Amino acid sequence: MMSEPAISRRPGELLFALLLVVFSVSAFWQAYLISGFSGKATPGVFPMLAAGIMVVSGLMTLLSAARMPKKPDDESCFFVEVLSFNHFVLIVLVFGYVILMPVLGFVISSGLFLFCSFQFLWRKNPLVILALTAVTLAVIYIIFREVFQIFLPQGHF
Amino acid sequence: MFEIMEFFSIAWTDPWLIFLTGAGTFAGIYVGAIPGLSVTMATSILISFTFKWDVNEALALISGVFFGGVYGGSRTAILLNIPGAPSAIATAIEGYPLAKRGEAGEAIGLTTVMSVLGGFVGIIALALFAPIISKFALMFQSRDYLLLGIIGIFLVGTLSGESFAKGVFAGALGVLIGMVGLDPMTAEGRFTFGSIHLLGGIPYVAAMIGFFGVAEALVQLHTLNMPAIKQKIDRIIPKVSDIKKYFWLAMRASGIGTIIGALPGTGGDIAALLAYDDAKRSTKNPERPFGTGNREGLVAPEAANNAAVGGAHIPMLTLGIPGDAVTAVIIGALFIHGLKPGPLLLVETPHLFWFIVGSLTLANVFLLVFGLTGIRMFTKIVECPKAVLIPLIIVLSAVGTYAIQNNPVDVYWMLLFGVVGYFMKTYGFQVGPVILGVILGPMMDSNYRRTMLRARQDVGDFLWGFFSNPVSLILTTGLVIMLLSQTPLWQLLLRKLRVNKYS
Repeated sequence: MMSEPAISRRPGELLFALLLVVFSVSAFWQAYLISGFSGKATPGVFPMLAAGIMVVSGLMTLLSAARMPKKPDDESCFFVEVLSFNHFVLIVLVFGYVILMPVLGFVISSGLFLFCSFQFLWRKNPLVILALTAVTLAVIYIIFREVFQIFLPQGHF
Repeated sequence: MFEIMEFFSIAWTDPWLIFLTGAGTFAGIYVGAIPGLSVTMATSILISFTFKWDVNEALALISGVFFGGVYGGSRTAILLNIPGAPSAIATAIEGYPLAKRGEAGEAIGLTTVMSVLGGFVGIIALALFAPIISKFALMFQSRDYLLLGIIGIFLVGTLSGESFAKGVFAGALGVLIGMVGLDPMTAEGRFTFGSIHLLGGIPYVAAMIGFFGVAEALVQLHTLNMPAIKQKIDRIIPKVSDIKKYFWLAMRASGIGTIIGALPGTGGDIAALLAYDDAKRSTKNPERPFGTGNREGLVAPEAANNAAVGGAHIPMLTLGIPGDAVTAVIIGALFIHGLKPGPLLLVETPHLFWFIVGSLTLANVFLLVFGLTGIRMFTKIVECPKAVLIPLIIVLSAVGTYAIQNNPVDVYWMLLFGVVGYFMKTYGFQVGPVILGVILGPMMDSNYRRTMLRARQDVGDFLWGFFSNPVSLILTTGLVIMLLSQTPLWQLLLRKLRVNKYS
């Protein structure tokens, strides 16, 4: 049931745990600002409880991460194990896609995104990728526009 | 009685609903089977596409996807040794060795029949017990709902993921996300930072799609170039003698599955592992040792995880408490359609309850049909390369999120949750408790405050309530035992008990 805890610390784990604690503390502060300790049934009580639990469990996570032995540097690298080149490129592509979607509309932005990411991840002949993109896009468009009848972003063009 | 039959048969008599249930089951099998796609992912994306539909149509589709998806995970577990869903982990232990012996077809056939049997047991339990529990739940007070919510989040948090602290953190984070926006009791803004965009709260479907769609797609990127393993499949219809032989084992496993599925916070994955464990202990003279292709060990978890589907619907529909991540997402779907799962659902909208029972039954029948056919096409589709799958998941997630309110801001939220979710998963946090927290948080908040106001803001009175009422006492005891079992104190106590026993 419980997955095996990691034996050694993953690259970036300590920093992530630290960020979680910082986030939790600021969330607690924001929750305190809602209604402070003015009453026991005020809107701020439950957010404070939740944020308080986050602070405590976040600290516990930070402590246990700090106690774990670090892997030797030559065996582990944040940019290989966690945020690899593939991840980085894909996240940038998704970012661009999401930002361009309202401007270019669903068809053009999705087409561009699918083509670029298929090409980047699969590395086949561009013509094959182009055909794949066209077919995928057509299927998605027909299913969602016609069957599910949802509005797809139109864009300004 | 006549009325019940009428409601039950809605899904069976309308050709369009039959088609949707069938299509849902079919799609669910593939979604559950393709490693990298999950039922939770599919349901969360589907919700956004179906929210404009008639509620019956949406429910028919979702019932099918749920049932098909839970079963589908077993196929890749057997064929590729990759459980398509967490509930198929035990299946892989016994199924893959069977496939290596060239008995993949038989293993798939047997799991299909046993899954369907398990599914029926779960549905019967739902039909029999939900009305009783829902009557009983009318006696529940706000305090009890608060307790149920806490128990649910704690259970999901502790049973999955690496550590108790991480599970609790994820649950609390979900509750916090659920708090953003206007407070429903006083209309005061919480965590809105003066922005009107935040007044309506963070759209929970965007959070679901981000955590289960994009985050999962990013995780899958690690296994981009894993080669597909091909298996030979021949006979798929199981022998009648085999079904007879494992029938009672399947029944017992289904019982376990239904009960575990019905507990708030525990779902099909835990049910499957417990049933596997039970089969391991109760099988006296196994044909083959467990772990090397034992059929008892294959039948039990599969019957249990499908029985858990019906079981999980019980607390979801009668108490409004989701049992696991999938049911949390389905509750989200019910909310979107303006329904309020809880004890009044059966009183105010009995047609809806019996419709769900009917469409689940129909989905289970479809499962038998699709489970025993189309295996050749199946092996082709499952080999779909991840380089194609991952961008596809992202496009579907983006379109799905946009479809909810036609608002690009929702898509930005989805992306943010996707990236955060990816890092959380990487560092051993589960995202299931987050979604449970988002769904249960507002309910727990209002119930906490109602209880506190009823106790006239007196902490002593408030706490006394947890012990003075029998229902609350049982729930409080459960919660305390659960918390204690996570502390070193519990280990100490167990050791002492053992020492006493031996001395």
